[in-house]
Amino acid sequence: MATRSKLSGTAALEDIEGVGPQAFLASIVECSDDAIYGKTLDGAILSWNRGAERIYGYSAAEMVGRPVSVLVPPNKPDEVPAILERVKRGERVSHFETTRVRKDGEVIDLSLNVSPIRDASGQIIGASTTARDITEQKKMREALAERAKEILDVSTPVLQVWEGVVVAPFIGTLDTQRAQQFMERLLDKIVQTNSAVALLDVTGVPAIDTRTAQHLIETITSVRLLGAQAILTGVRPAIAQTLAHLGINLADVVTRSSLAAGLRVALDILNLKIITQEDQAKGAHSL
Amino acid sequence: MTNQNISLVKVRNTLLVTMPADPDDVTVTTLQEEVLGAMEEYRPKGLVLDISAVETLDSFFARTITETSRMVTMMGGQTVIAGMRPSVAITATQLGLTMVGTFTALTVDRALDLLTHPHPRRRIR
Amino acid sequence: MSDLARGNIPIKSENDIVAARRVVRDLATQLCFGVTDVTRVITAASELARNVFLYVGAGVMWWSILDQCGEVGLELTFEDHGAGIPDVEQAMTPGYSTSRGLGLGLPGVKRLMDEMEIHTEVGKGTTVRVRKWLRK
Repeated sequence: MATRSKLSGTAALEDIEGVGPQAFLASIVECSDDAIYGKTLDGAILSWNRGAERIYGYSAAEMVGRPVSVLVPPNKPDEVPAILERVKRGERVSHFETTRVRKDGEVIDLSLNVSPIRDASGQIIGASTTARDITEQKKMREALAERAKEILDVSTPVLQVWEGVVVAPFIGTLDTQRAQQFMERLLDKIVQTNSAVALLDVTGVPAIDTRTAQHLIETITSVRLLGAQAILTGVRPAIAQTLAHLGINLADVVTRSSLAAGLRVALDILNLKIITQEDQAKGAHSL
Repeated sequence: MTNQNISLVKVRNTLLVTMPADPDDVTVTTLQEEVLGAMEEYRPKGLVLDISAVETLDSFFARTITETSRMVTMMGGQTVIAGMRPSVAITATQLGLTMVGTFTALTVDRALDLLTHPHPRRRIR
Repeated sequence: MSDLARGNIPIKSENDIVAARRVVRDLATQLCFGVTDVTRVITAASELARNVFLYVGAGVMWWSILDQCGEVGLELTFEDHGAGIPDVEQAMTPGYSTSRGLGLGLPGVKRLMDEMEIHTEVGKGTTVRVRKWLRK
């Protein structure tokens, strides 16, 4: 009954004892962990494998004949019609991540692959969907993203080194996302610690591109608007050159060649002075 | 004397004006009028503009602030913007609103200190 | 893949600029944009709404929530039937300003948003469309 010539790779299956090629392929579908189901071009379910029973919680008897929209969460009414439209045009939908609702009401994350089913004459008569449960995968992905964010926070730290002074040592380049997050963290820290000075140290930055330079200047300007003094320390010749080429006038920005020098300016602003114990001793004598 | 949503008080010989969260254009314009009136009446050494409640600072608001600041300077005073929120500072910077000609301070407290003992480094060039 | 929700508000008065800000604040907050991104979007909307009111007198702001392959975004479109912008490139040059003083502020708005498109025709009108996507 199977049109063997249409089913590729079935020649070898004829050799398997007691199992016809069509039955063998059918059992592959049945035993798959993924949900595999066929539907008409109107979305009515025609077949429903064991994987689908497990993933969605509905038995085959419950689903065959029913519209697939039963599984779709109420906030996505246009999704299935949109998918079927594409299938009707002969397109495949691959790795489409979305959510569906199980029989018990639980919402799950799935990756869908939908392909057209054609009859002997090549006409599209339905759609075949394979759905993989990616809930675990998604959780792992989100955990990884959280971890990556934590690493970002650690690698562009904002540290309070004294009452009223925060230091932000830059290491490497800042892409846009990292830069935005950094700016927010820096300003929040300044407000939180009621700091008067923020030292932006670029000693660890050998060269910067236009985008990073722009972020740097924006950071300095934002700190000023907030009400603190930004001091740029450790500017290497290569960076000074880049900034000059960009038309940025460093005369508007307070800069120092080293973090230590910047700290001295900070203390000065705060009306603080570092006195060595020697000085103190001398001072006591002169009194 | 005070507008419904702007608060204006005289503190330590300065004017302390507190802006509401999302002032409409009329309120922003009123700010300027009220400040000028108070400058005339009290001749304070400066204006502290408390924007710690402000969530959005657009170009109209910024323009009004810098204009007002210019007028305050002409009348012998200094303007300090106090309490700008981080999100507002970042957005204003990216929009290109630099508020040249005004001082800024983290808090109203600091702003009042600034006007009493001005520090040369704090001015935005 | 689809628009989840859309709406519009007319811009005919100064109060409408505030209304636009409020609507955008609600939308951006609902979509869980971070504090700074919420501020960026509201400020951009305020600037563009003000342009419409100031230079043309009447127009409309369309908003829609976008969902493209799992990416969520907010799209705002400011439409007017005014004189149009004669030289868009010049208007987009940072530092350029009309006689009024601050010009249209378009370069700044572009900096605040992720995407910006301008369609304008002298004598017919202008449409400015901006988008901001939720960062993961």
